[in-house]
Amino acid sequence: MISLNRASLRYGPILGLSPTSFELPDGGGITGLLGPNGAGKSSLLQLLSGLLPPSGGEVRVFGEAPFRNPAVLARLGLVPEGDRLPTGLRADRWLRMMGELSGLSGEALNAAVASALATVGMADRAHLTFTRMSKGMRQRIRLAQALMHGPELLILDEPFNGLDPEARLTLMALLRSLAEKGTRILVSSHILGEIAQLTDRILLLFRGRLLAEGSVTEIRQLLDRHPVELRLTGEAQVLARWAVEQPELAALRVEDGAVVISVRSPREILPRLQKAAAEGGIPLQALDPLDLNLDAVFQYLTKDHA
Amino acid sequence: MPIYAPTLPPAPDLHQGQPPFLVLMRFDFTRLWRQKIGRFFSFGFLLLLLVKVGWIYVKFLLQTNPALKGVEELARTVISQGPEFQAKLLDPATYLLWFLVALVGGGLVARDTLYRVRPLMYAHPVSPKDYLLAKLGFASLLPFLVLLPFAILPWLLSLLLAGLHGPVWATVPLRLLPAMAISSALMGSLAVGASSMAATPRAGIGWVLGLVLGSSTLASMIHGLTGITAVDALNPIMLAETWPQLLVGMDHPLVAWLPAVLGTAFHISLWTFVAARRTRPSEAVI
Repeated sequence: MISLNRASLRYGPILGLSPTSFELPDGGGITGLLGPNGAGKSSLLQLLSGLLPPSGGEVRVFGEAPFRNPAVLARLGLVPEGDRLPTGLRADRWLRMMGELSGLSGEALNAAVASALATVGMADRAHLTFTRMSKGMRQRIRLAQALMHGPELLILDEPFNGLDPEARLTLMALLRSLAEKGTRILVSSHILGEIAQLTDRILLLFRGRLLAEGSVTEIRQLLDRHPVELRLTGEAQVLARWAVEQPELAALRVEDGAVVISVRSPREILPRLQKAAAEGGIPLQALDPLDLNLDAVFQYLTKDHA
Repeated sequence: MPIYAPTLPPAPDLHQGQPPFLVLMRFDFTRLWRQKIGRFFSFGFLLLLLVKVGWIYVKFLLQTNPALKGVEELARTVISQGPEFQAKLLDPATYLLWFLVALVGGGLVARDTLYRVRPLMYAHPVSPKDYLLAKLGFASLLPFLVLLPFAILPWLLSLLLAGLHGPVWATVPLRLLPAMAISSALMGSLAVGASSMAATPRAGIGWVLGLVLGSSTLASMIHGLTGITAVDALNPIMLAETWPQLLVGMDHPLVAWLPAVLGTAFHISLWTFVAARRTRPSEAVI
């Protein structure tokens, strides 16, 4: 569905996106585009949504270059960053106009507006003006405009910014349901937790470069130089004795009723740990990875590339 | 049993509506009509139109009613029926029109900039040309449509009352409609160019007024200092007023033919160029 081959973007002398290559397969699913402010997320989304041509390399969406390509634009929906919409306008009238811009008219337009409003849960409030809507409601209307023409690819730039927790959860549930129905969703954020809650497939950008691609675990496995912290709960002394015999051990500390070990190559030590626990060699009650989360991955990767 | 990946329902049939620039133009017109400012100016221009039409009727009475024979001579000296009268059919609507263009046109592009609407539009099958065409079309068609009754209704009334010998020339539409089209294009391009440089609708209004009044003042100053009358062609207010005068064949129009053509071409091309640059997708950052 999406393929980038050393695609880069320059804003005059400033490099917005370094030569980047990756592919996203056809079919539904959510991919998170993660990175701090200025990482190049919006640049990448602008390339994919056909707003700008790449300065170098090649961008393909549905097998074609998306820049000013109506055939591609008709198959994708974009929800840019921000929640502001022209004041004084009624949401349904604005949606109709946006639907017409996609080439809908007559009954097809009526049906598309009604369906999009129902999908985002705004069918009964679409007659309100944008001034009278909350941020969450406006965000849902922005999402509705991107859904009206039945896009196969939905691109959202920082959609959770400024939303309260309830609106955030509602939007996440909505995106998950769209993905389950077959829409490929690309969502950017600089908040690690948001992406982690939404998807396991991540593109990690930092300073205009694609640092990593894959699930959190996959990305974490790339980081052999950074030991993984595991908390082994059980009889601490016995567990510590077993741990110090392992060649992958980098550090160890004893806590109350548990041992926290730092190990390199967790893929090698984990089967041995499992075997020892199964055979009763160690009194293991629980095993918790402490830094197999997105925050840790992000910190490690950005520290390496800073 | 194999598990299949979910598939999307068939997409709705696209490519069946109007071209994007027409959709955008229609949206701007209906939006203006629903706003208070649209109704206010409609009322204002309607009043002006009634006065104009009433004036034609008064002239007709002066010419035909024997009881008014006594004041006819006086009326002839006060109210010219020559080219000047024909050109002035559009006055003072043209002046009020500048305010309408500033108030409405000033926010035309600036509003989309403020609310980041352009990236949304460009992510649909809408090209920057469509967008620019829609904005220029709206900003130019608006003054043209407002002026249209001022040229047509007095002409119709004159024809009905006095046939070909009425106070309004029978050929007036042929002369005034092209003049209105040129003046409207001038107003529209200036408004869209100014609006594209502004970050908010209010700033857009300021930009339009600033450009119109600023270039008028500049032209007047240079004219005053150098005595070169052709410099008045930089003044958009004067240009808009000149075109009806030129096309009805007034002996002493405000600006002569060549400077008027050059000045109008300069303004239209400059402000269209500015608007085109400022509404490129690269300006519509997301």
